Amino acid sequence: MKLLPLLIALAAATPAVANSLVSPGVRPGIARSKLAATPVGEWNRLSRVGGNNVEVWTIDGDLLNKISFYGGIGRGRTLLRQVDRKRQPLPQVSATMLLTDIPALLETTYRAQGAVVQMSIDTQQPATLGTRKAIRFTYSFTRSTDEVQRKGEAIGTMVDGALYLVTYEAPSLYFFDRDIAKYRALLNSLAL
Amino acid sequence: MPRHVAYLAAMFLLCAPVAAQEKTGSKPGFTLQPGTVRIVLMRPSIRVGAQSTGGMNEPNADWTDQARRHLTQALHDAQSQLGNVVVDYEEGASGDGPLLTQYTQLFGAVADSVIEYQFFPGNRLPTKKRDKGFEWGVGADIGKLRSLSGANYALFINTHDEYGSTGRKMLQIVAAMGGVGITSGVHVGHAGLIDLTTGELVWLNADRQMGGDVRTAEGAAKRVAQLLGGFPGKAAP
Repeated sequence: MKLLPLLIALAAATPAVANSLVSPGVRPGIARSKLAATPVGEWNRLSRVGGNNVEVWTIDGDLLNKISFYGGIGRGRTLLRQVDRKRQPLPQVSATMLLTDIPALLETTYRAQGAVVQMSIDTQQPATLGTRKAIRFTYSFTRSTDEVQRKGEAIGTMVDGALYLVTYEAPSLYFFDRDIAKYRALLNSLAL
Repeated sequence: MPRHVAYLAAMFLLCAPVAAQEKTGSKPGFTLQPGTVRIVLMRPSIRVGAQSTGGMNEPNADWTDQARRHLTQALHDAQSQLGNVVVDYEEGASGDGPLLTQYTQLFGAVADSVIEYQFFPGNRLPTKKRDKGFEWGVGADIGKLRSLSGANYALFINTHDEYGSTGRKMLQIVAAMGGVGITSGVHVGHAGLIDLTTGELVWLNADRQMGGDVRTAEGAAKRVAQLLGGFPGKAAP
């Protein structure tokens, strides 16, 4: 019996210290990285995260509206902390990744560890993140854990071989449309 | 005890929420007088399975069928005692069925969020902690559905049970020896009232440690009594 991965998963799934308030104004060092943003409204920063360089902001909880910042995931590292390296290996960031590889990395990660039973990358287009070339894409997915259909919108870029990715996800019904403008306003303030 | 087990045990103890969990919430000022409104009981979402050693859900169709039969009967028995007219959802020719299924699943996500970020006081979101309210909902568009016309509220009920496998129970014992608490089995239940004018969640009973074995008639009756305990407008027993 593999006890260690199970105990790690259990500890990771348990609420840790309190969630914190993100006030309007400049916010540097997001996800322990060069990412910065200037939110105009308030957000909640969850204490629970899925990795070392991951930060999650929400309004009503991560099941209902969730912005994930992945700040400089370097070569050989995974987007999320691996729960079971042997049975559910996650794809690793490669320093030679193209921008067009980023959506597939997210999808493969979710299929491996996110209990995702359906996922599609719906649109992809060139964009800029700060002053850098980036890819903007939309997607939709359903997890077996709650069977809620969710939509996502993301922007990603590679800087010196490290991945910077920001995603917004919410249930297709009601929440996605309600909060997408807040995400896009935040996105427009991103600096890298 | 191996060092990594001791480390993880300590980490788990540090991480565990210290505050007791609340199980019921309602919008401030919300009351329901008996005999004043029409409530539609939505088709309950019922999932029953086994929990593997690793904590994965393994759906069991037979158990789910048993639970659906017993819970439906228990809800039918309870329906007339809720203080207001409670009718079963009828899709008719509206074609609303698939959308209502999505609303049922969305309600589950909202209810889970209330448990996580409202019922655990130590885990509350700062923006929600400050206003001390109960601001949750599924959006006002639900009230536009033809199949819900004439109703004032929708009553959603979800149950999700996973019965711990032998391996899971063994893991629970081994982990306990290492000082780590692992639960065996999942028994989640939500009962919530949505105001069909605003889409707001006005009352919720929700718990991740529900009682009653829903695979039996007695257990299903116990579960329904727990889910509908304190139902607004219901006469005190």
